[in-house]
Amino acid sequence: MTTLQRYFGEQAGLGLFLLISTVLLLLAVAAGTGIGEMPIPLDTIFFAVTNKFGWTAIELDPIHQSVIWDYRLSRALVAACCGAGLALCGAILQSLLRNALAEPYVLGVSAGASTGAVSIMILGVGSGAVTLSAGAFAGALCSFIFVALLSDGARAGAGKTILAGVAASQLFNALTSYIVSTSGNAQQARDVMFWLLGSFGGVRWPEFQLALVVVVIGFLVCMYFAKALDAFAFGDDAAASLGIPVDAVRVILFAVTALLTAAIVSMVGSIGFVGLVVPHAARFIVGPSHMRLLPTCVVTGAIFLVLADIVSRIILPQQVLPIGVVTALVGVPFFSVILYRSQRAK
Amino acid sequence: MFSVKSVSALCGLMLPLALSLTPAQAAATVYPLQLTNCGVELTFEKAPERAVTLGQNSAEILLLLGLEDSMAGTAFWPSEILPELAEANEKVKRLSQEIPTLESILAERPDFVAAQLAHLLGPESKVAKREDFANLGINSYVSPTLCTANHDTGDVHGARAELWNMDQLYQEIDELSQIFDVQDRGQALIADFKAREAALRARVSDETADLSYAFWFSSPSPEADAYLGGKNGSSGFIADLLGGHNVIQTEVEWPTVSWEGIMAANPDVIVVGQVALTRGWELDNAENKIAFLKADPAISQLEAVKQNRLVVMDAQAMNPTIRTIYGAEQVAAQLEELGLFK
Repeated sequence: MTTLQRYFGEQAGLGLFLLISTVLLLLAVAAGTGIGEMPIPLDTIFFAVTNKFGWTAIELDPIHQSVIWDYRLSRALVAACCGAGLALCGAILQSLLRNALAEPYVLGVSAGASTGAVSIMILGVGSGAVTLSAGAFAGALCSFIFVALLSDGARAGAGKTILAGVAASQLFNALTSYIVSTSGNAQQARDVMFWLLGSFGGVRWPEFQLALVVVVIGFLVCMYFAKALDAFAFGDDAAASLGIPVDAVRVILFAVTALLTAAIVSMVGSIGFVGLVVPHAARFIVGPSHMRLLPTCVVTGAIFLVLADIVSRIILPQQVLPIGVVTALVGVPFFSVILYRSQRAK
Repeated sequence: MFSVKSVSALCGLMLPLALSLTPAQAAATVYPLQLTNCGVELTFEKAPERAVTLGQNSAEILLLLGLEDSMAGTAFWPSEILPELAEANEKVKRLSQEIPTLESILAERPDFVAAQLAHLLGPESKVAKREDFANLGINSYVSPTLCTANHDTGDVHGARAELWNMDQLYQEIDELSQIFDVQDRGQALIADFKAREAALRARVSDETADLSYAFWFSSPSPEADAYLGGKNGSSGFIADLLGGHNVIQTEVEWPTVSWEGIMAANPDVIVVGQVALTRGWELDNAENKIAFLKADPAISQLEAVKQNRLVVMDAQAMNPTIRTIYGAEQVAAQLEELGLFK
């Protein structure tokens, strides 16, 4: 087989895989729209969506229409965007930091977001004019800037950058605890926990628009640097010798992942596991090349989080489990299978 | 012929009857009713028939207004229902003891949603935003204590600059009674609460000792620092109503205080909260609290503990709710037995 043939063969394989995954993603979103507490007939679900697209104009119960369109569909799509974004960030950070344990929150972003959120929720910073999400986003950026300063714009090396992230997480978690314990009551502490554990309960269409934009931009930027990321695997010097502006690429990618993660945390709280595990699972499936890995991460992460959200909504009647609990509960068995099979394959 | 006792018992029986039979003092609501609630314009074409409440206080207000037949569901119950409302409350579906989902609320096909707490309904809520209901033509009402204009003094935040009082609760009762066209009952309820408030205040005289109170809500464990009710919260209001003051002088709503700090403050009376949450905190229970106070070698030396000036109160009264006035009465009755209040 010539290199050319192999190249096309691989591309076709990847294309087929992505096609199937995209169909699966659409099915998952359809399931997310169809499954819920309120029993709604299948045709109503279908028409509720087609009505909104302007394809049909069938008279439906407005409550059904609203639950399907404003609540379930927007929620499933936001879950898909967040899953895609988190998996993408995880893959980038694992490559940049050359650390298998790196995940979107490794640079202290979620700790910073929680400090921002409690400053708004408990201390009343901005006295109502600043939303919780804006506060969380600002907190996340503070933490990222702190890490960037400590690690000299990530030039200090992967190990030091991770340490700077740990320091930032500790600092901001301590600040959060300080605020909660000096100013909050038991109920507020619970509210903060509920908010931070991650939930898609508060998302509607505006969140989807924002999530879609940031995820698409983040994805395009990362794909643009996919070849450079491949080179990073062999170390900074090797990458530099290939003519890659190592420092610049690293700073850009760190900034993109931080902004993306901050946007996601501020919308839905911190959702663990997706960003850590989906990139590994994707690597087992398509290998380490970033041109293949990043699109795979995006669709797999999206499918995974949409499914996890469905589970979180139906496992307890009339109550929602924090999504982070479900991602770990669903994700660990799923990941165990992949890990086991990859070991056998060796 | 009649003993004093039987007459007063008769009066007690008559009271609810009297309340409902009082000739209409308040005007009937004219629909469509327009109301501004926390900056949102509401229009009611008729009285709601399928109300859902989010938060115990909202539910208890509607039940006190006798509206159980107009309620489709309730959610979020951190404490036991007020005993006299238990029977009426049985008729209303409890969607969730905890935080409910939007779908479970909508499944009841509500025509009105009333909420007590910001995390149950509002821009930051993970449950629902007011627009979610407005888009479906469902009016929503949030407790006036949550209005943005009141952020400086509201209970959503950590500190309160002025002593809490019942005014916003009265406003809430008044507005809800207008919405449901039960203004007679609303005014009667407000009058009843005001009379009870005044009755307690009237018992305070120059001779009443200015007692210092510590309001112990709960502690995660015996080793942990205690959650106390702060100076300007409803705990402070209760102390003030009884002619005393809160021994805690910080403006923080729910300070966490070490036992050394409590001993240094040396309260005359310790009010121990009975918390009905099922979160497994041993010291949520008032009896366990008292046993702890008496058993601890250092704390048991406090004058209040030695003289058994320990008073039990439903902890829900330490939250600014209708239960606050019930809590004040509960404390007053026990102080009377201790000879500390006339």
